[in-house]
Amino acid sequence: MRSANILIKLEMELPYYPGCTLYTKAKPLNTSLHKSFGALGVKLNELPHWYCCGTTFNLAHDNRMSLIAPLRILAKAQNEDGKVIVPCSICYNTLKRANYILKQDPEALEIINEHLEESYDGNEEVIHPLEFFRDNKELFKDKLKKDLKGLKLGCYYGCLLLRPKEEVQFDDPESPTIFEDFVSLIGATPIDFPFKVECCGSYLVVNSPDAAVDASYKLLKNAQGNGAEAIVTSCPLCHYNLDALQKKIKIAHSEFNEIPIFYFSQILAIALGVEEENLGLEQNKVSPINLLKEYTLL
Amino acid sequence: MNNILKEKDFIRRIEEISNQKIYDCYQCGRCTAGCPFAKFMDVPPNQVIRFIQLGLKDDVLAASGPWFCAACLVCQTRCPRGVDIPRLMEAVRMIHLRAKEGLIDVDKIDKEFLLDAPPLALMSAFSKYTY
Repeated sequence: MRSANILIKLEMELPYYPGCTLYTKAKPLNTSLHKSFGALGVKLNELPHWYCCGTTFNLAHDNRMSLIAPLRILAKAQNEDGKVIVPCSICYNTLKRANYILKQDPEALEIINEHLEESYDGNEEVIHPLEFFRDNKELFKDKLKKDLKGLKLGCYYGCLLLRPKEEVQFDDPESPTIFEDFVSLIGATPIDFPFKVECCGSYLVVNSPDAAVDASYKLLKNAQGNGAEAIVTSCPLCHYNLDALQKKIKIAHSEFNEIPIFYFSQILAIALGVEEENLGLEQNKVSPINLLKEYTLL
Repeated sequence: MNNILKEKDFIRRIEEISNQKIYDCYQCGRCTAGCPFAKFMDVPPNQVIRFIQLGLKDDVLAASGPWFCAACLVCQTRCPRGVDIPRLMEAVRMIHLRAKEGLIDVDKIDKEFLLDAPPLALMSAFSKYTY
């Protein structure tokens, strides 16, 4: 009994904020992330009663109402460990920016705290899984079950993990490497390409799909030209634009060849030997099945 | 005189909403050069800023540029004068939205797309395009 108790204590637990899309269109990111963390010996504890962060950060300086949703989430999270894992790029960006503004702007701090049930000072640490993996490489020791050797993955960062630099402090905004390091860590071959930090079109897809198709086409072509066989990303909106818009890209550019888009957690789960039914690969519009079979990963 | 007052008023309003100093921009054009969506805009980012500096309210409000800004922040990262250009674009959008002039009618969005798109795409677009 005693040894079992010690084992339970050794298992790391971390507070976790999924955000709305991980319960709907980005379920594969949620499931494969839980399974991957589980395989690494870390339990993700979802925050109780969480709600939407407000999505894209509001840039109007005179409207502080939009800070309340993200800061309430963080104020509730602070009862936990002082840190929270956030995998969605948009949530990550919004929560981090709200925190930063609270620390920089005493007037905002005062106004916001009038609207929160509990007082909050902006000190809850928002952590992206890629940052967690970077700082906890030892967890991967002896855990990688499948050999991803030779699989060439284009590492697509998008905008919101990187910018604004001083507020998110994720990596160098023009030439980041955290994604490549992660892909190397799990045994695949990272592909660097100049468009890895360019915008995919984001919410323009709603009203100006042509602009999103154009942006996605350029960056996918650029990744393919540099040798990528698939793309990995962390943002559900980038994933949608890059994956779902390929149908429209093919109509506009007949020479275009389809390329599968993965969430980083799907690739990680594959490497860690997570069962196929927990990868959510069937939700990818451009099927990655053939590519994965080619590398005997399925 | 009346016109000059209106121009100053407009500039001050943009500066208040964005918390940026509009005359910090010296028109190097780097924002437009790196903007992935400049080619879709009738008035690209640096020219929107120039119009604001000149107090050309009507031209600024008629421009499509601010609506094509995806807030990707590439320009903000590269601006040698530290101007947060996406905040200026948001300020222009805000002037429209606070006057109840939205860009999209939610009821007219393609139903198939609505069911297919992730919630954060829709939420983001609604926060930028609707009042």
